[in-house]
Amino acid sequence: MSKTVIFASRHNAINAAVRLVFTVMLVQFLVACGVKAIVIEGEYPTPALRAIEANVGVYYTPDLKEFMFIEYTDEGDEEYAISSGQTHVELFDSILPGMFSSVTVLDDLDEASRAGVDIVFIPNIEEFQLGLPQKTRLGAYEVWLKYNMQLLSPNGDYIADWILTSYGRAPTESFQSVEAGVNEAAVGALRDLGSNFSLGFSSVPEVRDWLSEFQQ
Amino acid sequence: MHNTGVTNKAVSQGSICVRGFFVTVLLLLLSNCTTTRIDEYRQGETGIESHESIVILGRRQGSTYETREQFVECVGDAVSQGEFGLRVIPEIEFIDALFPWFEPRTAPLRTEDLQALMQEPIVEQKMAEYGIRYLVWVDGQTERSNSLGTLSCTIAPGGAGCFGFGTWENDSNFDVRVWDIRTFDNVGTISAEANGQSYMPALVIPIPLIARVENNACQSLAAQLQQFVRGE
Repeated sequence: MSKTVIFASRHNAINAAVRLVFTVMLVQFLVACGVKAIVIEGEYPTPALRAIEANVGVYYTPDLKEFMFIEYTDEGDEEYAISSGQTHVELFDSILPGMFSSVTVLDDLDEASRAGVDIVFIPNIEEFQLGLPQKTRLGAYEVWLKYNMQLLSPNGDYIADWILTSYGRAPTESFQSVEAGVNEAAVGALRDLGSNFSLGFSSVPEVRDWLSEFQQ
Repeated sequence: MHNTGVTNKAVSQGSICVRGFFVTVLLLLLSNCTTTRIDEYRQGETGIESHESIVILGRRQGSTYETREQFVECVGDAVSQGEFGLRVIPEIEFIDALFPWFEPRTAPLRTEDLQALMQEPIVEQKMAEYGIRYLVWVDGQTERSNSLGTLSCTIAPGGAGCFGFGTWENDSNFDVRVWDIRTFDNVGTISAEANGQSYMPALVIPIPLIARVENNACQSLAAQLQQFVRGE
């Protein structure tokens, strides 16, 4: 009787182990077939700068707010869907109050003249590139960003338009997930963008001209 | 009956010898796996008051490598501990507070750049708030080389196990430059070189015998830096 119980118990254990292995394999198969979603999350500091005495209106386009990048496998299948729209908005929400004495977020460009802003700023993301270590063999996750920065007057006239590029990398670490590596590299690229934008803003010739006119 | 007792005693002695041998091998492996060399080059007088602090920052301008945040944190923690521990401002806190001046692309590369940066009233004010006396730059990395051996692991419904042997060498090379905020001079350089061999034998269970090369470099560098800043 005792032997039968032991046999049954072993039989159950083997069955459970086989089931577990098949479940794991099934999950891996499903994950392998699907696209992995990565949402970029980060925190950005406000720049320690002398703020320009102006009320800037910032307009985040739907393209920026909902920005998503798809990374494809070598076979052309979708591999990672990287959503970074929200973190782009958070970056500018942190950067702009350090650069200007007042910031107004505009839901619509037509609001600008009514909101009493001095200038309208529109950040546009043009390119997002990703380098995965399993593809580049460089031992790091890398992200490149290309932005088009636009400055308009409250009534929509052109003031300035310039390109900014930035780069972030995260060296591969033991037991690090792809999500964590991509996130760290993307946040690094966004910080780089924020630092170049805030430090180089007054050096853009058209901006410099506008500033000297505005401050008179 | 008497003979059996002798045999048991002999087996027991043999077992102790085998165990003793393995313990000795293990201790030898653990104790001889890392060597560290520290060089100091002093270019100016140093000293620090109790109300003053230092900040340790990693260099991240290189295209091939960047100084790991964890290593910088390790040096900072070690410098702040002990009887003569110094006030160390955490790297992330400092970089965030002085954003965007100490980012990889904007950080001062020479003491002249720091002097120019200190002309910015907001930077000077933040430095004064933190009571920074020395800015310490850490630049370097740990590289793995001479990897040998193979290790294979198998997972089956009946169990899992590993078999094989692996070994590799780690080499750490770090340079530390100390900038005096009052004089805008590079007052000294400390270099740390550490290397060690790690082993991973596996007979069902892998037994990692890891040489703590980077940790040894960190502790040695921190001890030397603490003495250097205090002017000893």
